[in-house]
Amino acid sequence: MTERYSFSLTTFSPSGKLVQIEYALAAVSAGAPSVGIKALNGVVLATEKKQKSILYDDQSIHKIDYITKNIGMVYSGMGPDYRVLLTRARKLAQTYYLTYQEQIPTAQLVQRVATVMQEFTQSGGVRPFGVSLLVAGWDEDEERPYLYQCDPSGAYFAWKATAMGKNHINGKTFLEKRYSEKLELEDAVHTSILTLKESFEGQMTEDNIEIGICNQDGFRRLAPSEIKDYLASVS
Amino acid sequence: MDSQMNELYGNNGPKQVHFSPYAFNGGTVLAVAGEDFAVVASDTRLSEGFSIHSRDTPKTYKLSDKTVLGSCGFHGDVLTLTKVIGARLKMFEHSHNKKMSTSSIAAMLSTMLYYKRFFPYYVYNIIGGIDDEGKGCVYSFDPVGSYEREAYRAGGSASSMLQPLLDNQIGFKNQEGATVVPLSKEKAVALVKDVFISAAERDIYTGDAIIVQVVTKDGVKTEQFPLRKD
Repeated sequence: MTERYSFSLTTFSPSGKLVQIEYALAAVSAGAPSVGIKALNGVVLATEKKQKSILYDDQSIHKIDYITKNIGMVYSGMGPDYRVLLTRARKLAQTYYLTYQEQIPTAQLVQRVATVMQEFTQSGGVRPFGVSLLVAGWDEDEERPYLYQCDPSGAYFAWKATAMGKNHINGKTFLEKRYSEKLELEDAVHTSILTLKESFEGQMTEDNIEIGICNQDGFRRLAPSEIKDYLASVS
Repeated sequence: MDSQMNELYGNNGPKQVHFSPYAFNGGTVLAVAGEDFAVVASDTRLSEGFSIHSRDTPKTYKLSDKTVLGSCGFHGDVLTLTKVIGARLKMFEHSHNKKMSTSSIAAMLSTMLYYKRFFPYYVYNIIGGIDDEGKGCVYSFDPVGSYEREAYRAGGSASSMLQPLLDNQIGFKNQEGATVVPLSKEKAVALVKDVFISAAERDIYTGDAIIVQVVTKDGVKTEQFPLRKD
């Protein structure tokens, strides 16, 4: 079997920073933009999915994906790292169901995923994940929407609306102006498209962005035809 | 083997000493689910062989305002199991900011028991409580975690005496032309008292007193009645 390092590769600098985590956050900031907005009756996740060539089959692989029937996720940063966390999150959710015979609450799932991310900043021989995650969920018991961000450090935040990846500062400024507590899910989808547009180079089509919504019917990704309709109302 | 030893040594041959990690401490538990209530009852006798350890050891444990657990079998494992369940309940409350539902407690107990599949808790568990919809529920378990939701269940030393009686009186089984009447709280408690009195008559491990916990949406009420002490 492979030998394991017994010491962590993420160590403190004299100024008290964990530089590896700073670098991971830089990897996230260089990644494709993603946006999350919580509305009264649901949450929307949106992300740019620009492929480098027209030969890519863009509908085969998805950035926005479900963890459970009621919880979905998107990322900014390194795709392969995201895949690993997605698989872990799904397993964590099922383990919870096995034990308690209940769907995992969004906050519980986020706390467990964030713990995994933290472990990779302290365990031997590994590096932090190069992704920040946006987790959108609907809790059936409390009948309310949730939006959380998980960072490479393992820190997690509950948001009303946020942006990650390239241009996230401008994105958040845009959202600060546009966000209202009274937003319905339809309006939130519209606003998320506008937020993505702020940093989009070129023409936005239903094939180069992905949108997911989470409401009392659960989490689902919008079909390209639905995205097309929203885009039509934007331009 | 045995016959060969007997040929050589008669009845005073070499004997191997066995240490058993388990003991049988007797006791009976019973749970009945009604429309909006549940009743969990146990006797209070703790015995071993022909000796009585205590006449005042209830085998019911209040887990929350909506859930009561009845456990009997090997009392050492009963105590450890109830302590661990209590700890897990607290941990759940700390991380979730809410109490565990009866169905979740039942599911969790099943996994806790199966975790020790190859050195089991020698405990027969029955959970009685109120479910998420406000209805009474009973979950019964085997020592390794197989569980099922039922309307009523007897467990422990007098279970084989009590269960058929409950089938007849609560399930209206094996009665011809019987009218199925929903069980009221008062009737349920009276029935539970009577069946325990019958069990104490015939089972040596059951007796001394009966503790009845009645669970409703307003909480858990406890009543105690004396039983035969012989």
